[in-house]
Parts: sequence; structure tokens; C-alpha cells
Amino acid sequence: MRVGLFVPCYVDALYPEAGVATYKLLKHYGLDVEYPERQTCCGQPMANAGFQDKSMKVIESFDELFKDYDYIVAPSASCAAYVKVYYPKILKGKHECVSSGKIMDIVEFLHDVLKVKEVPGKFPHPVSVHNSCHGVRELNLSSPSECNVKPFNKIIDLLQLVDGITIHEPERKDECCGFGGMFSIEEPAVSTRMGEEKIRRHIATGAEYVTGPDSSCLMHMAGIAKKEKMPIKFIHVVQILAAGL
Amino acid sequence: MSTIHSKRAARFVADAEKTSWHDATFWSVREKRDKMAQQLPEWEDLREHASQIKKHTITHLADYLEQFSDSLESRGVKVHWAKDAAEFNETVLSILQSHGVTKMVKSKSMLTEECEMNPYLEQHGIDVVETDLGERIIQLLHQKPSHIVMPAIHLKREEVGRMFEEKGISKEKGNYDPTYLTHCARLHLRDQFMQAGAGMTGCNFGVAATGDCVVCTNEGNADMTTSMPKLHIVAMGIEKLVPDYKSLAVFQRLLCRSATGQPTTAFTSHFRQARPGGEMHVVLVDNGRSDMLADTEHWQTLKCMRCGACINTCPVYRRSGGYSYTYFIPGPVGVNLGMLRDPRKYSDNVSACTLCLSCDNVCPSKVGPGSQIYVWRQSLEKLGKADKLKKAMSAGMEYLFDRPAIYTTALKFAPLANYVPDCLTNIGNINAWGIGHAMPEFAKKSFHELWKEGKVK
Amino acid sequence: MKKEDFLNKLRQNTHFQYDMPKEEIKGIEYEDTFEQFVRMTETVGGHVINDVRKDADLNELVRRAYPDAKVFCSNLKGITLEGLKGGNDSTALELRNPDTVAEANDLNGTDVAIVQGTVGVAENGCIWIPQTMKEKALLFISEYLVIVLNRKNIVNNMHDAYDRIGMDDRYNFGTFISGPSKTADIEQALVIGAQAARGVTVVLVDE
Repeated sequence: MRVGLFVPCYVDALYPEAGVATYKLLKHYGLDVEYPERQTCCGQPMANAGFQDKSMKVIESFDELFKDYDYIVAPSASCAAYVKVYYPKILKGKHECVSSGKIMDIVEFLHDVLKVKEVPGKFPHPVSVHNSCHGVRELNLSSPSECNVKPFNKIIDLLQLVDGITIHEPERKDECCGFGGMFSIEEPAVSTRMGEEKIRRHIATGAEYVTGPDSSCLMHMAGIAKKEKMPIKFIHVVQILAAGL
Repeated sequence: MSTIHSKRAARFVADAEKTSWHDATFWSVREKRDKMAQQLPEWEDLREHASQIKKHTITHLADYLEQFSDSLESRGVKVHWAKDAAEFNETVLSILQSHGVTKMVKSKSMLTEECEMNPYLEQHGIDVVETDLGERIIQLLHQKPSHIVMPAIHLKREEVGRMFEEKGISKEKGNYDPTYLTHCARLHLRDQFMQAGAGMTGCNFGVAATGDCVVCTNEGNADMTTSMPKLHIVAMGIEKLVPDYKSLAVFQRLLCRSATGQPTTAFTSHFRQARPGGEMHVVLVDNGRSDMLADTEHWQTLKCMRCGACINTCPVYRRSGGYSYTYFIPGPVGVNLGMLRDPRKYSDNVSACTLCLSCDNVCPSKVGPGSQIYVWRQSLEKLGKADKLKKAMSAGMEYLFDRPAIYTTALKFAPLANYVPDCLTNIGNINAWGIGHAMPEFAKKSFHELWKEGKVK
Repeated sequence: MKKEDFLNKLRQNTHFQYDMPKEEIKGIEYEDTFEQFVRMTETVGGHVINDVRKDADLNELVRRAYPDAKVFCSNLKGITLEGLKGGNDSTALELRNPDTVAEANDLNGTDVAIVQGTVGVAENGCIWIPQTMKEKALLFISEYLVIVLNRKNIVNNMHDAYDRIGMDDRYNFGTFISGPSKTADIEQALVIGAQAARGVTVVLVDE
């Protein structure tokens, strides 16, 4: 099985450790992992802002760059969701979209494809799980609180394999944290207010860390927590799963 | 970059306590709705059915409207066809004038808000009295609804009580108990019902097969409106049709559970004939709906049944209030309906969304209001309404992300940004991120660099 | 606008057509439909009289439920002024007939209306009441409403209910009523008794 590693732009620049952890974890499970160097971004930031046409070239390159892998794995639910859900619609009428059927968030990949029963990580801390919107509502990483479906949570399933960990979920377990890409700079007042509330609910669980599959949400909350000196840390879920590697 | 919504929202959020109350109030409605959804094993099936029935009905609308109007006319009901708001208002006025009516009671109708009927009728000397408690309150305060189901939700009991005192509706000074105030309004409205020469209702569902106009209320005000005056006028948007009782059952079950988290409204009334000695008129209104039908990207917004569930779950609405939006219907569906009404006028609201998509999941007829907002954003540039800064940023990203070599170089120098002092990044207009956030720190080395250096192992 | 032009525009603007869903919804069925109906009626703010003897007098039941009421309104056969007075002629009571009052306004001031429901719905406490009287106002204008319902006519859900309901050809009106009139328009505080009945009593009978 050939796996193409996709490290989205902001993970690349701000949180390379999440990319490194993903790589190490995949290697740990004996996979053939490659990192195509000409990758940059999935195109979501421009498209969500209303400039899907400006992401067209990136989308075309992405689809071409990753076409020969069996799976494309990314430590970012939102980016994976964008490729999976939006690429086929955008490329419709141009050519068949290859990448949308292959892309997976790392959580999804470990849970559904590798079906891992052990993880190397040891993490003796209480964590609060951040069920990010696109992870929940586009990738089905957990059952959406709005829907009448059997409850499940793939992030928690995986974290339960980690030695020493205590897992919490905040009240309003999948309410948006207020990031929303350019929303955070266009509507700073509401965005910040949402972030503050979300952080408080995470803190109220007694957790030391907030963890989730999306560094973008974590970045937003970390920025607010730092500015307001709120006592909690943020870590990508893959770093917990790979802790010790 | 600052939209009207963002400015108004900032003012709203500045009152932290009121924001908390507003948010908690609507979150509790959302929780009640969730509980209702959980109690029915067939919930998700109901939603899918509702969506399919609406898709079918809307794409066979002319046929069903004929069936509906034939059925009504067979029982002596007069059916009118209004192409737009002006025709609708004129039709209603002429019905009222031909009966010499000077006072009309009415139950809540978003269609009459849409057509701005009340001010029109008032200009022509008709005293229009809203009879839904919330609508009556805001009417007396000369305000607009801040929510389509709970129109006076932005007001505190003291504000209502003081106004009732001024108008002589409440006699006990300083008594702001909601039960007391509601009972004062009951007496006040009882007189209105008895004096009015006509009653108008909206229509939650029109049943094509039987001609039933179905009106759902909790207060029973639509029924009082139609039981006392001899003249009943129904204002109905043409998208409200369903084929038959079988379909109606699906929608009746979804509507109130989604709207307020109750298993049903207290009253679900079926009108299809004038009451003895009276007259019944149904005014069918297009007002842009046929154009929506032709819009291949957004026609499914016509499936909306105005339950307000998307508004209640919207994290942005809950923290910015109904008056932050420039269209009279707020929240996710309001953003969509505003764009369908006049995209140049109401484009301001499309950025008031994080694309969290919670609204897509609560919508009982699967309109997908959140997903549709994404689509609307793509049309802003064509409309000449794209934000310049966002466009510049997106163009910058397009340039950068399309050139891996430059991208990699940029990454190399990015950590330098960490040395920009915080005070420089806190200037609101230049860097909105700095308003609420500390700047994120660029990694000393990007993943790209680490990879190139062979450090990813 | 002319109906033809109105409909023609719709026809022209319809680009594709969808079918109705193939399968029917399977609505919820309760283990004890009757008990669920009673529970829901109470949840929505109604009262239930459930222990009615076969030979019980409806007048007496109504009087017992509303001992302070003076003005009644009904066109049900079983309701009579004599019956309501219970043989005590000195009691000052009034019984109005919705079929013979001149105007709906004349029903204002009614304390209790007694009407017949035809279908009860377990999932939400709705009771279908077809109009069988000249002035339907009594259903809404009375301070309190008594609905008589045969317990055999309780169904699980609205799908079953819509299969069964009918209207009187003279009036062509019917309404589902679930508990008393209510509102939460002031600060979301629930208040019973907005514009219509402030209380609803459901009398479940065998006949």
C-alpha cells in the first residue's frame, strides 16, 4: 500500500510536528509513505472566502500530484474534507477527480483502513476532545449531535488505545469554535467570543490539553487562550497517538 | 473588510451578559429539538422524505396549484394570483375595501413581512392588528421581528411591561411577570378579535388534493382570528404546497419539533371553506419564487418551511442577534433568502457564517443552508460584491500555492514574522486576527525544510 | 395576475422534475399507545379523566372538573342545563348553544366548552375536532375546553391520524388541538393561556 502524505500549508508552516507525527505513525504501521514535495495547499482558504476560481490551479495540481497513491493521508480533517467533498463538484465537467476517493484524514485512515488495535503513544494526561465541524459533519469522524444516529467517535476510539490518558468531551461537544478561515478576521468579535466559550468548556472538563484532528481550530483557540492567558494547552491528536515514537 | 453584519455583531457581543442570555436561550431550543429528534427512530427518514416530497412538489408546482385552487373554488373560496408584493398588497386591500373593513386582525405570516403589507395597508387607513403575542409586542414598539418563530426574543420582560403600561394594556405598575403580561395581552387582544372586520392568516401548508390551508400556532390566535370576523384572507407563498394528507403528516411531525422542540403546536387547523355566512379568500403569491425555481444552484431553498431550526443552531446568530443581519430573516436561511431576493442588496450577510454546517443537519427538509452559503460566496465577485482585502489575500494565496518553489522559500522566511512585536499586530483594521488572538508562531523549520534535511524519519 | 400567466411562468421555469419518495414512512408505534397518549396529553398541559364509569353522566363529570364555572357551551346531546345543575334549580348556570347563537361574539365569556374529538394521537397529544357546530369559536374562545374522546380512537402517530380524519361537509373545518393555548414569547418563559383555552380536559370514554 502506497500512501501519499499531505501536510497542508498551515500545518507545514506552523505545526510541522503534526506532520512529523503522522509520518512516524504511518511508518510505525509498516506503510510505504511518500511525501510529494511539490505540494502546497488544498485550496480551501480561497474557496471558503468566495474565490473558488483562485483555487482551481491548486486543485488541478493536487489531483495530479497524488494520483498514483492508494491513499492520501493528511493530519487535517478540514483539508481532507475539502478534497473529498468539494473537489469532485469543482472538477465536474473538466475531468474525473481522482484524489477525492483516496483522501483520508489520519484519524479516519487509522480507524477505518488500518483498523489499529494498538498505538505506540503514552500520554498520562487528561484531554478534552475537540470535534471539529468538518471532521464531524463532512468526514463523519463522530456522530453529529444534531442527528438521530447511533453515537460513535473515531477520535475517542483511537485515544482510548493510548496508555495513561483520560478522555473528556466538552459540553456542546461539536459546537463550532468560531475559526471558519477568513471568518475569524472578517467577524473578529463573534469569532473570538465563540473561541472563548469553547475554550472555557474545554477547561471545565478538567483537561490539561485540548486535542483534535484540526490544527486550524487548535490554532484559533490557542491564539485566544494565549492572549487571554487561559490555562490550557493544545495538541494535535496524531501527536498523542504517536507520542514516544 | 468590515461588513454591516460584523459591525453590528461587534456591538451586540460588547454586551457580554446579554449575548450569553441570547446564546443560552437559543441553545436550549436547539437542545429541545435534539431531544425530539432522538425520540423518533424514524427522524432521519422523515427528513429525507420531507426533502423528496418538497422536491417533487416544487417541480410540479403548477399542476398542484391548479388542483389546490380547483378544490378551494369548488367550495366557494375565492383564489387570487399575485405575481409580486405589490399585487399581493393591492389584492388584500381591495378585498378589505370591498367589504368596508377598517380593522383587520392577523396571525403571524413571514410572507406579509416579506411583502411589507402592514405599512401598505396602514397607509390606506386599515388598522392591522398582529395577534401573535410576540408580533403584537414588536408591532406596538414599531420594531421588526428578530427571529421568525420568536419575533420578540430580543426584548426583556421589563421592556415589554413598561410598554404595556404606557399603552394601558397592563394596569399593575411594575408587574413584569410574563404570565401576568400574557394575560393582559389576552384581554387586550380579545377586544381586537371581536371588533375586527377581517382576519388574515398565513399558511404553513396547503394540501393540493383537498384544498386545506393548514395553520399551526401555539397561542390559538390564528383560530381566534378566523372564528370571530366573517371575512378570512389566507396569505400563502406558493412553495407551501404539499400533495396530500400523507405528505402533510410528514411535515406536521417535523415542523414544531424542529422549530421549538415541542412534539406539535397546540393548534393545527385546517381551513378550506368560509365559515357560515362568511367569505374566504386565498391569495397565492409568487414574488420571486418562480425565479428561484429557475435558479439551478439555489432552487432547493424553496423547500424551506420557515421552522427557524437553522437559526437556533447557528453559532453566529446566537452571538450576534437577528438585527445584525440586513435581511429581515436572519441566520443561515435568511442569508440564502436575502441573496435570492436581491443579491446585491443583501450580499453583506454571506460572510456571517463559519461554514460549520450544523444548520444542514438540523434542517427538516434538507435545504442545506450552510452548504448553499458556500455557493453564494462564489458568486460575489460576479456581482461586484467581493471584499477587496479577501480577494487580495486569496489572489496572494493563489500565487503562492501555485508556485511550490516560492512557497518553500516563503516558508523559510516565515519564522521571521515571529519577531514582529505583538503591539504592531494589534491594530484592528490592519490585522483583525490580532483583535482576539495572539499571533501564531511559525515553526523554526517547516515540515518541508525538515523533510528536505532528512529530519523526518 | 391571470392564473394562466402565473402557472405558465412556473412551468417555463421548471427545468427538471422529481418523483415522490417510493417507500412510505414507518411511523413510531408505542408499546402502550393509550398510556403514551395520556402521558403526552399531560406533558402538553392537558388533564385526563380516564376512570369514567360506563353509566357516568357527562354533565356531572364536567361540573366536577370545573366546579366554579357558570357559563357552559356545547351542542353535544348529553350536555343539558338540567344535567349541569344536577337537580339543583337554585344554581345560576347558563348553557349556550353554538348552533343557535346569533354571532360568534356572543360566545365570549364562556367558561367551559364541551366538544367531541374523533381521533387522538399518542405521539403528541393531538385530538382531531371537526367542526360540527355553526360557530367554531367555542373551541377557542372558552376559558376551558373539555374534549370527549372514545379511547378506541387513539392512534400512534400523525400518519395514522391523517388516514382517519374527516370533516363535516357543512363546515369543512377541523383542527388538531394538543393541550391548552400557550406562548413563550416573553423571554421564552412558558405561559399557559395565550389567546385560546387556558386549560384542556380530555374525557376518555368507551362509547
